Amino acid sequence: MTAEATALTHTAGGGDHGTPGVHAGRGISNPILGMILFITSEVMFFSGLFAAYFATRAHNQPWPPNNCGEPPLAGCHSFAELLDPLGLILVATIILIASSFTCQFAVWAIRRGDRRGFVRNIAVTFVLGVIFLVMQAYDYTILFGEGMTIGSGAFGTTYYTLTGFHGAHVFGGVLMLGVILYRGLAGQFSAKHHDAVEAVSLYWHFVDVVWILLFSILYLL
Amino acid sequence: MATHALSPAAVPAYRGGLYEWLTTTDHKKIGIMYLVNSFLFFLVAGIMALLVRAELAFPGLQIFQNEHVYNEMFSVHASAMIFLFIIPILAGLGNYAVPLMIGAPDMAFPRINALSFWMLPLGGILLLLGFFTPGGAAAAGWTSYPPLSERGPLASPGPGQDLWLVSLILIGTSSILGAINFLVTIFKMRAPGMTLFRMPIMVWTVLVTSVLVLMATPVFTSALVMLYIDRNLGGTFFLPNEGGQAVLYQNVFWFYSHPAVYVMVLPAMGVISEVLPVFSRKPLFGYKAFIFATVGIGALGFTVWAHHMFTTGAVFLPFFSLMTAAIGVPTGVKMFNWIFTMFRGQLTFSTPLIFAIGFLTMFLIGGINGVFSAAVPVDFALHDTYWVVAHLHYVLFGGSVFGLFAAIYYWFPKMTGRMLSEGLGKLQFVLMFVGFNLTFFPMHILGIKGMPRRIADYADPTWNDWNLLASIGGFMIGASMLPFLWNVFISLRNGKIAGDDPWEGNPLQRATSSPPPPYNFDRLPEIRSERPVFDARHGLVEHDATPPVPPSLAAGDEAHRAIGPSA
Amino acid sequence: MSTSPRKRPASEAIVAGGVVILLIAIVGLVFWSGAGEWLYPPEPATEEAGAISELYNIVFALAVAVFVAVEGLILWSIFRYRRRPEDVDLPPQTHGNNLVEAIWTVIPTIIVLILFWVSWSTLNEVDAISAPAQRDLHVKALAGQFQWQFEYLDADGNHLATETRPLSPDGGGMAVPVGKNVYVTLVSGDVIHAWYVPHFLFKRDVIPGQVNEFEFRLKDEEAGQVFRGQCAELCGTGHRVMLFDVVAMSSGDFDAWLDQLVEKENATPPPAPSGQAAVEITAKDIAYDKHELEVPADAPFAISFKNDDAATITHDIDIRQGPGAPTLADEAPIPGGQSTQYSFDGLAAGTYQFFCSVHPGVPGMEGTLTVQ
Repeated sequence: MTAEATALTHTAGGGDHGTPGVHAGRGISNPILGMILFITSEVMFFSGLFAAYFATRAHNQPWPPNNCGEPPLAGCHSFAELLDPLGLILVATIILIASSFTCQFAVWAIRRGDRRGFVRNIAVTFVLGVIFLVMQAYDYTILFGEGMTIGSGAFGTTYYTLTGFHGAHVFGGVLMLGVILYRGLAGQFSAKHHDAVEAVSLYWHFVDVVWILLFSILYLL
Repeated sequence: MATHALSPAAVPAYRGGLYEWLTTTDHKKIGIMYLVNSFLFFLVAGIMALLVRAELAFPGLQIFQNEHVYNEMFSVHASAMIFLFIIPILAGLGNYAVPLMIGAPDMAFPRINALSFWMLPLGGILLLLGFFTPGGAAAAGWTSYPPLSERGPLASPGPGQDLWLVSLILIGTSSILGAINFLVTIFKMRAPGMTLFRMPIMVWTVLVTSVLVLMATPVFTSALVMLYIDRNLGGTFFLPNEGGQAVLYQNVFWFYSHPAVYVMVLPAMGVISEVLPVFSRKPLFGYKAFIFATVGIGALGFTVWAHHMFTTGAVFLPFFSLMTAAIGVPTGVKMFNWIFTMFRGQLTFSTPLIFAIGFLTMFLIGGINGVFSAAVPVDFALHDTYWVVAHLHYVLFGGSVFGLFAAIYYWFPKMTGRMLSEGLGKLQFVLMFVGFNLTFFPMHILGIKGMPRRIADYADPTWNDWNLLASIGGFMIGASMLPFLWNVFISLRNGKIAGDDPWEGNPLQRATSSPPPPYNFDRLPEIRSERPVFDARHGLVEHDATPPVPPSLAAGDEAHRAIGPSA
Repeated sequence: MSTSPRKRPASEAIVAGGVVILLIAIVGLVFWSGAGEWLYPPEPATEEAGAISELYNIVFALAVAVFVAVEGLILWSIFRYRRRPEDVDLPPQTHGNNLVEAIWTVIPTIIVLILFWVSWSTLNEVDAISAPAQRDLHVKALAGQFQWQFEYLDADGNHLATETRPLSPDGGGMAVPVGKNVYVTLVSGDVIHAWYVPHFLFKRDVIPGQVNEFEFRLKDEEAGQVFRGQCAELCGTGHRVMLFDVVAMSSGDFDAWLDQLVEKENATPPPAPSGQAAVEITAKDIAYDKHELEVPADAPFAISFKNDDAATITHDIDIRQGPGAPTLADEAPIPGGQSTQYSFDGLAAGTYQFFCSVHPGVPGMEGTLTVQ
């Protein structure tokens, strides 16, 4: 009456290979699921920072604070002026959004097996990402020159913390783009095997979405 | 003395040299390293606790001439116990057990698994290094509230606090990577036939724990980062004189730290849910209810954080009070399910079961005394007194640590191929159980009578006797570690050889050798319920019927009874 | 052949039952003998504390009931269902019971809701603050590292007088009239502290940047009692000594006391007797500005002391032979923003240490006094 132990071997998964990131008919692949979970954790990290921002802002009215005194010092630029949404930072924003598009083009290209299209678009994404970082750094130097640093009270602290961590995440993304660019040039990706590309593109889109939120909240609200 | 063997014996005692251990990505070895590393920090933090208790045994300052060092002692004790012991050791148990229980060959990302582990000894060393810096280790409590944890002549001007911050950011990252690993493994690498609702409860608890770690720990990281920025980069997040808010830290901190307590206890509850059925010879009562209760606790756990802040005057009291009381309901469901697993069973009082019963009885007390604090006005009296110290130790020690030892006695045979001595195990239990209650029950009294936490000395003479009693108990707990360590030492060499399945267990790890081969399984049995090995042994049984005795078992009565009541 | 559970010997049930009864008996004995008193809060001294104490009793009764019931069930199971040598067959493999699950979900939920309801109403009572016209007294408790001060304000919030000594044996303490609505605000200039009096069953955090408020009303019969309080939020190395007393007085006594305090504060300080050596020291950022002082031997001397820290930080200048030695001269601390003159008797020639008793052990608040 005892059931015999039935030998069962792991099926090696000979199913569906055409759908991107899908293995053995078991849904998305491990690395991509891992990246999605990682992005979730990063969303929570930024949530903590955003929560602190909103709490700090609510506690310090008016916002932005008046850093030029009453009456305003000559030659002093107020925080509101410095954070001009129509300035350089708008260009940087457009560049980052564009890079998300080129990133997605790259993904679509490799899904079709178009290796050259993939490399081209990833290279453009990489360059756009670097340009964003350079512009962000340049923007920082302008602000430093005007005397706005991370120590400039609640306003400076929250501004630099949020944009700084975002910039760090862009930097990480640029490194990852560099790696898949390299691997793409070395011919390591195909229509059937390009999990890393899918994962990095998800991360890059996440970085872009965070920036759109950041830009709206810091510059527009 | 093996019971019904289900797979050929693996090569016994597979051990590599030091290089093998340093570079391994095998989840079993990594799990064992987690266990050993975490246990070392348990001993270190335990000694700190003994120093604290030695100081408090009598009124006056005897050991710590400098109250600052006393503050460092309890701050690092708690930080190490939470972040370097209980959270990682349960993750280590999960690391060892989960792939085996779901029939997977390893975790989803073995190299990241190794990375997660190695960040821990590094983080621990950073934390402890604080003691050797001018100004000493972090001394603002494990909670490190600003402004006390900011720079300032009477606050935390030294690098010890910064080391604490960096260490915890590192350890938190290790946790998060581990959570990602567990979730992908559990969702994607189960053996054929193992649906989510056939997974052992241990795996469910690790799943829910991992979701909590994934969602909550990064928020803690953000609090640590902000405090670091305040201390070192001129930031003002938590500095009230410069536009910051002290309570902001508390909100961000507790948003993590409350779910963290479920991270600290859910896997231990998973262990209890594995041990009780095996030693009662009947299935866990209410498997599905259990899962819903676990998920419910996880979800509710995110809604109660401000009950740590009832006295700040900055909290919406009714909401948090209601949710805090509500979380008692799923916890109660679990408690009853465990009890009814034993009810009408056939209990064999091996050491794992005895520790599991210790868990049940002590965690119950911890749950009950927590309800007092959920009633907000009563919390006004109890907050920041020794009552809270009693509560937290009853749930974390009475709960998690007793559950941990149940797991150790239960899984040691699987991990090493040897049985631990039952006699020494029971001696440890008695010393630990008595010592534990002697230490922490008086703290209810001290708390309600008014003794605050975190003081190196006390002024009210009516508190003297209770403090002395608590200190004696504390040293008893310390003493209980001796039979345990001795037990491990001698059993590794001379313990009884364990077969594949020394406890007549239910989940899949019983379908492979002790210790398992590197790839875990030669063959997997059919999976048609949450107790695949039980089914393989006894045949699929109609719900609630009494199965007939399989001929192999009836004949092998002598051998199998050796693990029975007389053991 | 197989032993069905129903045929288990009755002796087992008796033993298990006996253990459970023993548990109930022990619990009963603890309370009947009065030992249970240890688990009760101190005698409530205020009306609000009375309400909290009643709530505690309700929760406590519930706790004992749940404890006995559940531990009893565990003990019963352990003793009744031990595996016996003849238990070869498995017991009935009960997987669960939905009805039972529903019962032990619904009943605790009801208990939880009742508990919440009761604590919510008590909370409204405890946290109630009357309109400004109904407040009989406004005390501002100032918490600093590591001392309490109590400032008395009039109905419009104007300063009347400050009691800078927190403890009753020193002649200080937070004096309050019984039977009146005492409105308290809490202010800190440095880190988080907490105002806690066990006999009030009450504490409230003192958070810098935020002003917390609460109100209490002492019971009439408490006049003449002194209630010890203590800081209950870790605030640094002096946390354990941040004690204070609440001194309950009858209305008349309190009015007289307050008048006296106001008078003392407004009195002109005595001039320094002529011929005394005067030394000046300032304290700022928890440090003296001088760490070496010299005075002539065997002659009384005075030290002009200015406290330049925030109002919540108190300092003083005490003298002892050396670290660890008993204090020879114990002066009253002054709050930040104030100055005073400390007069000392003549000292024999030698080396002494001067230090701040509110911040012992802080290197910046120690110095050498050379007497020659």
